[in-house]
Amino acid sequence: MQEGLEQPDESIGLRKLTLYRDVVLTEAGEAPARPAWRASVAAVIRNPWRGAGPSADLSTEQARIAPVLAKLLTDRLIAAMGGAHEIEAFGKAAIVGTAGEIEHAGALIHTPYFGNLVREFLQGESIICFADTRAEAGETLVVPLWHKTHAATRSHYQTISARVPDAPRADEIVVIAAASTGPRPHPRIGDRMTDPVVTTETLEVVPS
Amino acid sequence: MSVRKIVTVVEEIHAEGGRAVHRPARIAVVAAVIENPWAGQGFVEDLGPGIEANASDLGALLAPAVLDALGEPAEAYGKAAIVGLDGEIEHGSGLIHTLRFGDHFRKAANATTLLPAVEKRGPAGVVFDIPLKHITDATIRSHHQSFEVRISDAPHPNEIVIALAAAAQGRPQQRLAPLTTEQ
Repeated sequence: MQEGLEQPDESIGLRKLTLYRDVVLTEAGEAPARPAWRASVAAVIRNPWRGAGPSADLSTEQARIAPVLAKLLTDRLIAAMGGAHEIEAFGKAAIVGTAGEIEHAGALIHTPYFGNLVREFLQGESIICFADTRAEAGETLVVPLWHKTHAATRSHYQTISARVPDAPRADEIVVIAAASTGPRPHPRIGDRMTDPVVTTETLEVVPS
Repeated sequence: MSVRKIVTVVEEIHAEGGRAVHRPARIAVVAAVIENPWAGQGFVEDLGPGIEANASDLGALLAPAVLDALGEPAEAYGKAAIVGLDGEIEHGSGLIHTLRFGDHFRKAANATTLLPAVEKRGPAGVVFDIPLKHITDATIRSHHQSFEVRISDAPHPNEIVIALAAAAQGRPQQRLAPLTTEQ
């Protein structure tokens, strides 16, 4: 590594990356028909807007930083899952430190500079579902996932917990991409294709 | 041995103390959430048969997995047994404090020292810190470190989380004088 060249790490203020991956082999006493890998990858970066007020323009930094994060996070997610073709469901999230605005978290995950690229890298078509919050370091955020090409596929509605013990510091943002290689362990709550028509008229007892 | 889930955590530190870590510091943990082999049996005096039936299989499952997750040679390592609320810490200790468990890791990592450990009882989602020390010389101060883990839905009251941790280096930005300078 040559001295003097700016590293991508430093250009986005990257402090650490945390991968969490699990696979359920037994659920309620039985092996799932398709054991799914679920994973989240979290990047802890310096909040590029620390100290800026609510009138600050976020567009320049979001266009510069979000694509780098999209590549960094999906590269690791794809490696952890054995390839983009293995991934069936995806989600995204951000936790902004207490000195930042939730708008800062949104700037990094809710624009095409992140979402479009994550969708492209993970070979998806759906809108990417998300969670975001402002919190102290060590907060657990439950990240929702849904099917990457057919978002209404009910078997793939699931979540994964993401947590970095010492992040975000007040002036940091944790940005997360998450994915699953399959459905919940024992999916059996039907789908839109099998649902009966449910309205207040079709129900014998209408909740009041 | 009944395994409910396997969890892998890998951390890469790219900056510490405001300075870049040019070779990102890597730590990996692999944990197996298993049914407590002595669940529902009351006070079991002789834990030997349960240890014999499970400890080696756990070591054989976790040791290659944590080294694979680390992706680099291990320089420091540690282990954990987190017992669900209905079990005894003795149950977790039984599964990890035996050569049947640890030798898999030592052999795979060319290590010689004893594995430092955390044993703890708690509810699902309990936070635990795995201590790590150097794999061939437990007095090497640069490699004393620990790694925090939390599995949101484990251990259930009748389960045990058994984990191994491996680090590819000592602490990022380690700069303490070695033990020998004080002797």
